Parts: sequence; C-alpha cells; structure tokens
Amino acid sequence: MSAVLHAHPASGPALGVAGPEKSRRVLSDAGLRGRWWRFVLILAITAIVLVPIMVTVVLALTPGPNSTATGLTLENLSNVFSKTLAATWLKNSLITTVSTVIVSVAVAAPAGYVLSRGRSKAVSGYSLLLFVMQSLPIITSVVPLFILFAGLGLVDNLLGLIIIYVGSTMTVATWMMAAYFDSIPVSLEEASWIDGCSVFGSFTKVVLRNSLPGILSTAIFAFLLAWNDYLVAIVFLRSNEIFTLPMGVQSFFQQNATDWSGVMALAVVMMLPPIVVFATLNKYFSVGGIGGSLAGR
Amino acid sequence: MTVQSEASSNFSRRGFLGLTAAAAAVPLLAACGGGSSSSSSGGGIKFWDMPWATPAYNDAAKKITEAYAPTGSNGKAGYQIIQWNNFYQTYSSAIASKTGPAVSTGGGFQAFQFEQQGQIAYADKVVEALKKNGQFDDFLPGVLEPFKSDKGYVAIPWQLDMRVFWYRKSLFDQAGVALPTDWASLLEAGKALKKIGAVGFGTGAGAGNNFGNHSMIMMMVNNGGGVFTKDGQLDVMNDRNVEAIEFLLELHSNGIIDPAAVSYTTDNMSAQWKDKKIGYGVFQAGAAERIGDTSGDFAVASPIAGPHGDKGTLVFPNNIMMYKNTPSQESSEAFLVYYMGQLKQLWQQKLMAALPVFKSITELPEFASNANNVKIVKEWQPIAKTFAAQGSTLNANLAVLDGGQALNQFTQTILTGKTDAKTALQAFKTGLESVIKK
Amino acid sequence: MSTTTAQSGLARARRGLAPGGPGGGPSNRKSKLSSQTRRTFFWLLLPSIVLLVLIHGYPLVYAGVQATHDGSLIDTGNFVGVENFGHVLSSPAFWKAAQFTLWFTIVGVFGSWLVGLGLALLLRTKIPAGGTFKILLLLPWVVPIVVSSTAWNWLVATPDSLIPSLFRSLGLGTPLFLADPNLAAVMVMAFKVWVSFPFMMMMISAALASVDTTVYEAASMDGASKWQQFSQITLPLIARSTYISWILMTIFCVNDFPTIYLLTGGGPVDATTSLVVLAYRTVFQDFQTGPGVAIAFLMTLTLVVVSVFLYRQIRKSSVE
Repeated sequence: MSAVLHAHPASGPALGVAGPEKSRRVLSDAGLRGRWWRFVLILAITAIVLVPIMVTVVLALTPGPNSTATGLTLENLSNVFSKTLAATWLKNSLITTVSTVIVSVAVAAPAGYVLSRGRSKAVSGYSLLLFVMQSLPIITSVVPLFILFAGLGLVDNLLGLIIIYVGSTMTVATWMMAAYFDSIPVSLEEASWIDGCSVFGSFTKVVLRNSLPGILSTAIFAFLLAWNDYLVAIVFLRSNEIFTLPMGVQSFFQQNATDWSGVMALAVVMMLPPIVVFATLNKYFSVGGIGGSLAGR
Repeated sequence: MTVQSEASSNFSRRGFLGLTAAAAAVPLLAACGGGSSSSSSGGGIKFWDMPWATPAYNDAAKKITEAYAPTGSNGKAGYQIIQWNNFYQTYSSAIASKTGPAVSTGGGFQAFQFEQQGQIAYADKVVEALKKNGQFDDFLPGVLEPFKSDKGYVAIPWQLDMRVFWYRKSLFDQAGVALPTDWASLLEAGKALKKIGAVGFGTGAGAGNNFGNHSMIMMMVNNGGGVFTKDGQLDVMNDRNVEAIEFLLELHSNGIIDPAAVSYTTDNMSAQWKDKKIGYGVFQAGAAERIGDTSGDFAVASPIAGPHGDKGTLVFPNNIMMYKNTPSQESSEAFLVYYMGQLKQLWQQKLMAALPVFKSITELPEFASNANNVKIVKEWQPIAKTFAAQGSTLNANLAVLDGGQALNQFTQTILTGKTDAKTALQAFKTGLESVIKK
Repeated sequence: MSTTTAQSGLARARRGLAPGGPGGGPSNRKSKLSSQTRRTFFWLLLPSIVLLVLIHGYPLVYAGVQATHDGSLIDTGNFVGVENFGHVLSSPAFWKAAQFTLWFTIVGVFGSWLVGLGLALLLRTKIPAGGTFKILLLLPWVVPIVVSSTAWNWLVATPDSLIPSLFRSLGLGTPLFLADPNLAAVMVMAFKVWVSFPFMMMMISAALASVDTTVYEAASMDGASKWQQFSQITLPLIARSTYISWILMTIFCVNDFPTIYLLTGGGPVDATTSLVVLAYRTVFQDFQTGPGVAIAFLMTLTLVVVSVFLYRQIRKSSVE
C-alpha cells in the first residue's frame, strides 16, 4: 500500500490569507506552553493506562519457576521459540490475519459502498440484516459452524479459520466502510459520471482512492479480531503445527496449572506485530490531524 | 469544502485488482500450507488426550501412543492434544460431525455425558483383558467400581485427582498450635493462625477455580454427608450437610477463610500458599512441586474427623473412554489395554501430579520416594469418595454438579458469608433440581 | 446539487442509508436508479451476501432449532416449542443478568466513547511524540484478553496485590476488588472500558481526520468559544461516525464473553454474570442447550431492538 494522503494547507478558500497568519502569530507563545502541558497530561494518562501492559512485560521477563536466572531475563522469550512452535504459530497467525484483513476489506468495501450510496428498501433492509444476523454471539455459532466445516473438510485448517474470520469481521467492516464513504461527497463522483465513468468506475477511481483512512481503520479492526481470537480457534484447530498464536497461548494451560512465564512471553510476541502495523500506518491516520491543531487548543 | 478531493493517491484500479488477486491467492496458499494433519491415518485409532501436566507429560504420552505396535488386523494409534479451554465444546462438535476420537481421556464425568447421548462404547472387554493380564487385581481398592453401570463399564480409570489438606509447618510453629485432628481443633488452629495473619482454611472460587466448589462437597463428605443418597437420589438438605456448611460459615465468620477467597483463581491460591499466607487448606496431590516449594515446610496433613467421627474426602477418578464412532472397536480395545499397561512410565518419569490407579505404581521407587504421595495413598485414598457420595456409581448428573452454576453459586454464597446454611443449601437444592435429569 | 445526471437518484441518496429520509419518497428514488446501477450494486454486494448466509445465517437457523428443542449439542432432541423461552423468562437469573448486561453496556459504550473522544481530541493537537502515544494507547486493544485479564487479576486480586496495597498505604482500607460484588462489577466495567477505548479513539480519530480544519479557523475568527466549536462543529461533524461506533460498541459489549468470564467468571455469586456469560454457562456447564441458546436468542432480539433505535438516530443525523 503505497498510497499517501498529503496534509493540506490550513488555509481554505473561505478565509483570507491574513486570517490564519495572524492567529498563528498570537498563538505561538501560549501555544508552545499548551503543547508541553498536553504532553505531560497524555504522558500521565498513557502511563496509567499501560500499567497492566507493563505487568505483562515484567512477568514475561521474570525468570520462570525452574529457572536459575535472576533479575529480568529474556530466557522466557527464547524458551518459547526454542521449546515450542512459536515461530510456526507466528507464521500461521500472520497468514490467517493478513488473509482475513485483505479479503474482509475486499468484501466490505464494495458492500459498504452500496450501503452508503444505494437507497432502496432492499439496501437498507440488507444493512439491517447484516446487523441482526451477526448479533448472535459467537459461542452459539461455533458448534454448527464446526459441523458444517467438518463436512467441507475445513477443520484443523487455516483456510476454514480465515473464512470464519472474514465472515465475522465482514459485517462490522461493511458498516465501518459505509460510514466512511458517507463522508465522501457524491459531488466528487458526479464529476466522474459526467466524464462517462460507470458506477463501478467511480467507486474504484474516486471513492476508494480517497478512502485510505477508512480502509485502514477497517483493516485494523479486522486485523485485531483475527489476531486475538481464540474462541473459534480452540474448537477448529487441533494440530500443534496449525496453531495460531492465541492457541499457542492456550497450550500453556494445564489442568489447574498454568505456565505463566510462557504465556506472558508469548503475549509479548503477540503484541509486537500489531505495534509494528500501527507504527507503520500511523502517519496515514494523522491526515487532517496536523492541520487541525487549532481544534482542541 | 472537500478535503479529500486534493488527496493524491496511487491507489489505482490496477492496484485494487492486484489486491483482490492477492486476496484470492493468500487463502489458497494458506490452505496448501495448512490442513496437513486433519485425518492422520486411514483405519488408525485416534487417541485424544488433555494437558494433564507439563508439556513433557504430553510428549511422553505421545511417545507411548506412537510406540504401540498392534497385533493382527488392529490399527495403529495417533495422538492428539485437546486444550482444556472449552474442551466440552471441542468434543461435542467433533462427535456431532463424526470427526471425533475413538479413544480419549477428558473431563471427569465426560464419559457419562456422552454415554447418556449414546456415543460411548462400553469397556467390558477391556476389563476382561485386564483380568487376564493381571492388571485388574492391581487397581487400588474402590477405583474401578464407580464406572460400572447397568449396561457395562463406561470408562476405565487411569489416574486419581484427590482433594487433600496441606499445611505450612513454619506457620503452625509460629502460631504455636498443633495440627488439627478434627473440626474443633481445626477451628482452634484457624484462630491461632489468624492471630499471625495467616489463613486457616485456604480455598478459592474465582474464575475457573473449582477448588472452592470441591471444598464444600469435601467437608460434607468429611462429615458423612454428600449431595446424593446411596441409591443416587438428590439429598442436599441432610443434617450432615447442614452441619458441614454451618461449620464453614463459622470458619468464615472467624476470619479463618480469607474474605477474598471467593475471587481467587487457582493461581492466586498457589501464590498465597507460596507466599506463606495460607497455613492450612484444600489442595491436590503434587501441590508442593506445583508451587515450587519442596523443602518439606509445605506438606500433606492427615485427614481430620468430623464431629461424629467421620473421615472422608473427594476423589475425581480421571478415566479413558472409547467411542462408538471408531474404525474398529477391537482396535480401540486393543489400544486401550496396551495403554493401561504403559501407564507406569508416566509415574516413573515423574510427570504426573495425580495419583496412579495401580498399586504397583504406588510402589515404584520414583513414586514412593515422595513422602507426600505416600501419605495420600496411605491415609487419604482409602477414605476418598466421589462426587456421587453417598452414592457409589458415577453418572452424567455429576458433570452438571461439578462445573454447573448451582454449586458455583452456592460456594460463592458461602465464601462471602452473607447467608445461613439452610437457606444456602435450599437454594443449592432448587438450582440442582432444575438442571439434573432424572 | 446537480440533478441532471442519470444517476441523480444515487446522488441524492448519499445522505442516508434508509428510505424515508430527506429528498422524496422511496418509490420516486427507486425508479431513478438505473437497472445497470442496480446490477452493479448487486455484484458489489454478492460476496458479502454469500458470507452472511454461510457464517451467520446457517448458525442462526441452527440455533433456532436448538432453542426450540430439548436436545444436547450433539443430538437435536424433541421439539418443545417456546417452552425453553418460557423457562428462561421466568427465571430470576435471566433478569438479573439482563440488568447487569444493561449497565455493563451503558458504561462500556459511553465510558469508552468519552475516554476515546477525549484522547482523540487531545492527540489531534500538536503534542511532542504524539504519534508514539497514539500507538501506545492502542495497546489495551491489542493484548489478548486472556493475558490482560491475568494482568488485571495480578494487580487487584489478593490483599497484597499492587492496587490494594496502594489503597492500604493511603489509609483507604484494603478493598477486595474482585471479591466484593459491587466492586467486582465496577472492575469488570473498568476493564471493558480499558479494552475498548482504543477502538473508539481510532474511530473518532478517523472521523476527525476527514473534518476540514478551516472550519474551525473560520469559527474562531467569528469569536466562537472552544466549547461552541466542539459542540456545534466537531460533534455534528462526527455524529454519524459516533452513532455507528455506539452501535458497534453496543454489540461488542452485549456479546462480550472473554472480558467478563476471564476476569471474574461471572461471580461473585452472579454479580457480574451478563446474558452471554449466563448463556455460556447454561449451555456448557449446566448442559442445558435449549434454554442456553434461548437466552442467546432473547439477547440478540433485545440487541436488535436497541440498535434499530440507534439506527434511526443515524438517519436523523444524516439530515444536516
């Protein structure tokens, strides 16, 4: 995904050039102080919010019960990679999640477009149907889905898992895409229609190419749902070499006992890819946010 | 007014098509890399096992399974670990779709649940074979009988999960009090421990923790009570149960039961033991190894007598069952007989926390060198009763009792102390009546 | 707005999802959708329709069968009509769980929204290392619940855990966060807000990103206060997004199983048992498949009613 949305100059056509120039000058001193004040505030909030995460990291770095190490150590992390199939689980999780994200967006974006633009009774009915049908909790769906998928030979198989994840992310993803498309004025499309574009053409050329933030939010939603699920995986996956990471976490739970150093170490492994994804995509989210510095002052 | 209109982008149509193509390709790749092992072998026996202990246990059990060399036309066996989380769902959905195992371990009363639903193959022929090879006489007393139903043996026990009292020597020394021998002295010891800030009746009923539930029934059984009559009728309100629950409430009101115990997970409980916060309480075999304190300070106590002189505790005989959906019933039976014969390896390698079902294994030096184990076999095993107490045969209702909401609510009510024994037992009885099948 | 193009119906339609909004009656609009457009719409919807039927439709029908039978997970059993529903509706446990679900959802939705909104607005301003904070604040959503619930348990469960010790040293006694029924309910809700606010923050950030910032400059030139700017510009501009995020979070809260189950197991004594936890325990611990699935159904029904109400709000908010 190489698309980049550029930040926009803060001045709009409605304002004279002098306006923003002037306010910016007045603001500079107080603005700077405000910036640091806000920095301290967000630092404090973040620190409090992350206490449970820090607990996780500390527990992951604390030597396990049978270890000779003292202080904090990377031993647990190296253990999960050397003594379990963590690398394979990581690969499986990545395959499952990336496939889910791509297919989910590919299904949800066109459907969301129809939900946003179409205005027949059928479309709004479908929009509601999407909602109603996915409201049944997953715990009651797993058994029938398993029986269905067993018949199709899609059990203990990542493809089966991906199909279910796409199905369960698709409904919300469609809504999220529709919400985003609503913010894109139809007037943009009208111009392309006049140029002879079809509805599909304007969808791909005009709407989609302006929807990166929406697509990314949806993708992240799908990513996290697929990345963290264990309720489906626990019933569908059997073989150690097919496990995703959340199933790997489950494998540390013995009867009435849990290898917490293993769980926490694997949890840290599980946290890293989403962090990388967020960090990479962050700049695409902040579009508009940069120019909006006056908003929350 | 349009911010987006200026946005430059190379999110072209071709890019989108490429994306779609990738979307189609990735799952295919995944499919190729994936489903390698869904059906392991044609005609082979699928054996499903749980993570009963550390991963080394499962490795050993797998080795035993794969070392099985069938005779005649019998099939080989494949080993599969099933995670504890939602295991009943996993078994049910597999059985319903005919992709389930031929032989499995599993939850304590799972065999009886699936028997009720017509999915279990009776093990009478296995019992016959065990009689012939001598293992039948090797069972510890009273271990096999609970599995005999009107129609046959529902499953074969292979290990015993026992509830016993453990204690901290150093805390008793510090409190200057002797180990309890009966309920009265347990109360006194509890008060003394309380003075030094320790807990005199350790238990827990938080998320996923059944020890609290078990300690309720354990105390009933300790007093000669139980939830069922000898012929299996529900009998919650008997005097012995009322007395036992009144005693637990007395412990609670004296601060001998930790007021936070109602929310303790098994890990919270273990941590409390490890940190020397609990002086005396309910735990299981192998607890010393589990909390990582084998110094001898943390040890198994002797059974205590109730006010009428009764002794007793709870045992969960974990078992191996066979299913009707098998490539060959003879193969299932042959494998199960073989597996029972190999069990001693697991204790020889010191992989099991639970007790073995065979006398000969309790005599192995690897097992007998552990004083706590010996004490449990010698003092606790003979007085242990199942959840079916005062009845003697197991049944599907016990699964409802064990994991169900009625007992859990009852336990949590007692552990929060805001009730009296009869009201709580009455609610427990009503709750059980609504879910137990006649 | 031009209405001379062939797709004018489409053009006017963009403001809302459902018929009955501004711009004329449905029949009028429908007739203007060209058949080619309708065909395109159908093809665009098709993949989602297939998945909906497969992944949601089939289990829904299956659950309908289970809810009206007296069988087990394996065997359907006999048809009992609405007996299971009657049984469920007459049980106090159901109503208690319904009440808890309501509070859990209200706090979960608005708590996470308020926190998410506050942080999204704060992060929208110029802050040193703002991007890093944004990523760090998404972490609660990223960590698997089975892990974060353990971390929370570790922080509060025993009298010697970090937070109770902190309270003690401040002279506030030693609260039993998970053992006291009221505190346990508070803890579960706080945990849910903690897990959910990053989603809200992300939704609101995305919505704010599409807001034209020059609007604020114009407003501030006109002498609008910050509160006026917020309530009269920001909120209306993100209203649609907000409603949708409320609806989604309502689903997430009502359907949430692991957050509650892993932290408290629904206890102590039912204090934190929501409908979905009750349904789970009824099916998988009491092995009452029919009544348990009936609970899930009733829950879904309520959810649908609530969301149709919110859905109407979306339509209203489309009228600018």
